Amino acid sequence: MKKSSSAKSKKKRGAPRPVGRKAKGEKFTPDMTVEIAGIRFKNPVLTASGTFGYGQEFAQLMDLNRLGGIVVKGISLQPMEGNPPPRIYETESGMLNAIGLQNVGAKRFLDDKLPFLRDLDTQVIVNVFGYSTEDYVRTIEILNQGEGIAAYELNISCPNTRSGGMFYGSDPKLTHEVTMASKKVARVPLIVKLSPNVTDITVFARAAENGGADALSLVNTFVGMSIDIETGKPRLSHGTGGLSGPAIKPLALRLVYQAVHAVRIPVMGIGGISSAEDALEFLIAGAKAIQIGTANFYDPRASEKVIRDLEAYCKRKRVDLNRLRGTHLGFEAAGLKRE
Amino acid sequence: MFNKMAEVRENIPLSGGHYLLSLYSPAQARVTRPGQFAMLRLPNRSDILLRRPMSIYDVKPASRKSKSPALIQVLYKVVGRGTGAMAELKGGDALEVLAPLGHGYFREDYQRKLPQVDEVVHVAGGIGIAALLLAARELHKRGIRQRLFFGGRSRADLVCYKDFGGLVQKTILATEDGSRGHKGFVTVPLENHLAGSERGKILLMVCGPWPMLEACVGLARNYGHPCLVSMENRMGCGVGVCLGCSIGVKGEGHGAYERVCTEGPVFWADHVRWAGGTPEI
Ligand SMILES: Cc1cc2nc3c(=O)[nH]c(=O)nc-3n(C[C@H](O)[C@H](O)[C@H](O)COP(=O)(O)OP(=O)(O)OC[C@H]3O[C@@H](n4cnc5c(N)ncnc54)[C@H](O)[C@@H]3O)c2cc1C
Ligand SMILES: Cc1cc2nc3c(=O)[nH]c(=O)nc-3n(C[C@H](O)[C@H](O)[C@H](O)COP(=O)(O)O)c2cc1C
Ligand code: FES
Repeated sequence: MKKSSSAKSKKKRGAPRPVGRKAKGEKFTPDMTVEIAGIRFKNPVLTASGTFGYGQEFAQLMDLNRLGGIVVKGISLQPMEGNPPPRIYETESGMLNAIGLQNVGAKRFLDDKLPFLRDLDTQVIVNVFGYSTEDYVRTIEILNQGEGIAAYELNISCPNTRSGGMFYGSDPKLTHEVTMASKKVARVPLIVKLSPNVTDITVFARAAENGGADALSLVNTFVGMSIDIETGKPRLSHGTGGLSGPAIKPLALRLVYQAVHAVRIPVMGIGGISSAEDALEFLIAGAKAIQIGTANFYDPRASEKVIRDLEAYCKRKRVDLNRLRGTHLGFEAAGLKRE
Repeated sequence: MFNKMAEVRENIPLSGGHYLLSLYSPAQARVTRPGQFAMLRLPNRSDILLRRPMSIYDVKPASRKSKSPALIQVLYKVVGRGTGAMAELKGGDALEVLAPLGHGYFREDYQRKLPQVDEVVHVAGGIGIAALLLAARELHKRGIRQRLFFGGRSRADLVCYKDFGGLVQKTILATEDGSRGHKGFVTVPLENHLAGSERGKILLMVCGPWPMLEACVGLARNYGHPCLVSMENRMGCGVGVCLGCSIGVKGEGHGAYERVCTEGPVFWADHVRWAGGTPEI
């Protein structure tokens, strides 16, 4: 791909290293890299769309080059204003948002935001949304002109705009249609980001796979609501909003687990991840990588910590990261020696 | 802007559920400008996810001997879960502080107004006082005449105004129940003052609850004075990425919304879209 990966991850690729081969106490450096749709990530930790801006905002707070990847705020054909305030509301261990997809539009993204991202030593994924299949296609055609984009992530699930992605994410035919149309024009691999607000996630996972998706990511936010009992009005101007944060983690984990077993393409897990322990649950459930969302807000260095602690875990267990994937029947059954 | 672990030095209860919290954080204290704010992460409360935005009320040296600012002070009022948890902080506790954030009162285009006015009038409603002290001190240094109008529901709300004593020429208090100062809204004595002024010669700096802001902005418009408002809104990140704190503004630009945490929290009153663009929190 476009960039060399860090010196740390530059090591001989080949057959997976047997576990526990080296004697205890001997230095063991786990392989943290993952490959998804031909893209090599130096580690499986990405930041989720809409929670990390265009990267620049966090440059003062952490080393962006540590990240496996950055998924930028959803981009549309035209710039968008978003919803009137109030747009967010904190709930128990979670938050509701109805931002309304405020963004700078595809052209300004290429001119103003991409140059900074391109210079980073991390993979840049651009989240794309639209109001018609034509919108998605035209947005991707514009983005195709930009250098340094590793993949597109289709947001077919944003619950915030009445006419928006919801439509595509809750009808398998439309999921298939928009995936196929986008795949046809996309110059880089296509990740489809699924909505959790459906009765059977496997139907949508397969619809995207059959439409040509190179990978899946899930979940987007769960539609929720909160009411101010003093005024009798919803807390958000939009009425409903998307729930994110630790509160959704068990729900998200179950959906990721189901999706992993429904398709052959790789899956990225998202939802309430704020620690390496959280991330490991998703990886063990079968996700190939994970994204960190809301945690960036209250702990701007959450992603850095997750990377550091994941590496420490792999060192302690003496396994390469990839060996953990899909070991949900227990490490012993997966042939990993127990510590 | 940095994210630092800060140590609680004091958390002093004042009247009416107000507290003055002192945090030891020299690197942040040194670079704080008037009108900026901090995002405080509450320790040991996983149910309280988001950090709470708080104006930086004052910065101070940590001891009598030293001159360089090392403490960040936050003046807050308990109104809910987060501020309730803040009230339980004790000396020696540590919490993560992201600061200083936002543009304060001395953004370049705001400063350019200063030579054109004879006086700066601060208007504080309740805990809004917390956004004004550092500005008053800076203006005092520059030799600018100042006046403070401070209103609250009752005298228990009128905290810390004595800190303004040496900085402003006059302090006018008002309480709705008449327990101190003028009885009624602070906007009444404010209007009396503005009525006798030459148009455009006063710069208003206003921070307070919603109805007071709107009333003050109306008065500033009627009497032809420029007015800066320090806005509040719910915040997710404090650094410009969640777009949760956006308020409606006039004109083009990044849509017709700007982020309180990044483009604010201090705005020109006539830049803000008051109807429909701003939350009544
Ligand atoms: C830039 C900025 C500076 C601020 N400075 C100060 C300060 O110096 N001192 C101080 O006491 N408060 C200040 N606030 C308000 C303070 O952030 C809120 O009071 C606090 O977040 C409420 O948290 P809570 O969990 O106790 O309240 P919650 O339980 O979340 O809510 C209780 C009540 O507070 C209101 N509220 C919630 N969040 C906010 C918010 N961000 N702004 C205003 N009202 C809110 C709610 O609508 C509700 O009515 C500031 C806010 C902003 C945006
Ligand atoms: C404020 C906010 C804005 C978001 N914006 C987008 C977006 O533009 N596109 C998108 O696909 N997902 C968006 N999301 C969803 C997140 O990327 C993520 O899927 C979701 O928040 C669940 O992960 P979390 O619990 O770690 O936050 C947004 C989430 C939040 C909280
Ligand atoms: S609080 Fe997140 S953008 Fe302002």
